[in-house]
Amino acid sequence: MHAGVDQTEADDTRLVAALRAGDEQAFGGLVDRYYGVMLRVARDYVATKEAAEDVVQETFLGVIQGIDRFEGRSSLRTWMFRILVNRARTRGEREGRTRPFSSFASGLDDDEPAVDPDRFVPDGRWAGFWSAPPSAEHLPDAKVLAVELGDRLTQAIETLPPAQRTVLELRDVRGFSSAEVCELLDISEANQRVLLHRARSKARAVLERYLQAGRP
Amino acid sequence: MRQPVVRCVEFVESVTEWTEGALSDDDRLTIEEHLVVCPHCTDYLVQLRLATEVVHEQPPEAPATATRTALLTAFRSQRDSR
Repeated sequence: MHAGVDQTEADDTRLVAALRAGDEQAFGGLVDRYYGVMLRVARDYVATKEAAEDVVQETFLGVIQGIDRFEGRSSLRTWMFRILVNRARTRGEREGRTRPFSSFASGLDDDEPAVDPDRFVPDGRWAGFWSAPPSAEHLPDAKVLAVELGDRLTQAIETLPPAQRTVLELRDVRGFSSAEVCELLDISEANQRVLLHRARSKARAVLERYLQAGRP
Repeated sequence: MRQPVVRCVEFVESVTEWTEGALSDDDRLTIEEHLVVCPHCTDYLVQLRLATEVVHEQPPEAPATATRTALLTAFRSQRDSR
């Protein structure tokens, strides 16, 4: 929904120039923006959190060393995440870890409904239609809600299964396209969609619970 | 074969395929027709979009100060060695 918001080609050109010129603030900004999500992506390939931290640090060192050779054939972030995934994969292989057991391949078979089934009419003519519908009356602005919901939503995102959390962060927080996410995580469009669907459905449920609690 | 009607319980499971443009033309039309007649699913969609926007406002998780400092030091030394 937010594809391209986080980074445009013009931003990229400026950022690459700044990095090449040794602009510390530009580099610091990149670290702040991507460290957390890179850590989560790396974590899927390697055995420990420490190994994932090493991989992310190596990636940023690789960015520093390689920025002069960056040709702009992909976006800067795609290039960075490719470095990350390559290093994480190498490290994981050295550890003898295989990715078929990765969180992205598992956890898709269990059926998690987007909405509590009790909120739909169970049988009869109206079976499957809302019995306890959601309400979109008097919704606050997203920016206001982000402040109000803050920790609650962060906590909810933190408790998502890792794969759902990573896809949600890449797509909706960092604004990656679905094609980018599929490439970086090496998952199919369909799997990516299921992970996104479940994560977004849960984020909506958190929002709804918060809104309802504020009402008489 | 086009499903003539989609119920709310199915709408909430198909909505991401719809917003992601992954549905066939027939299925897309079925979903859109449902939205026209179902104010509750329209409200659901509004909430879902709002939640996505709120998620987008989440600040990134910053690295530990020591990690950040180490990376910035590496950046400086690479710059100064040129």
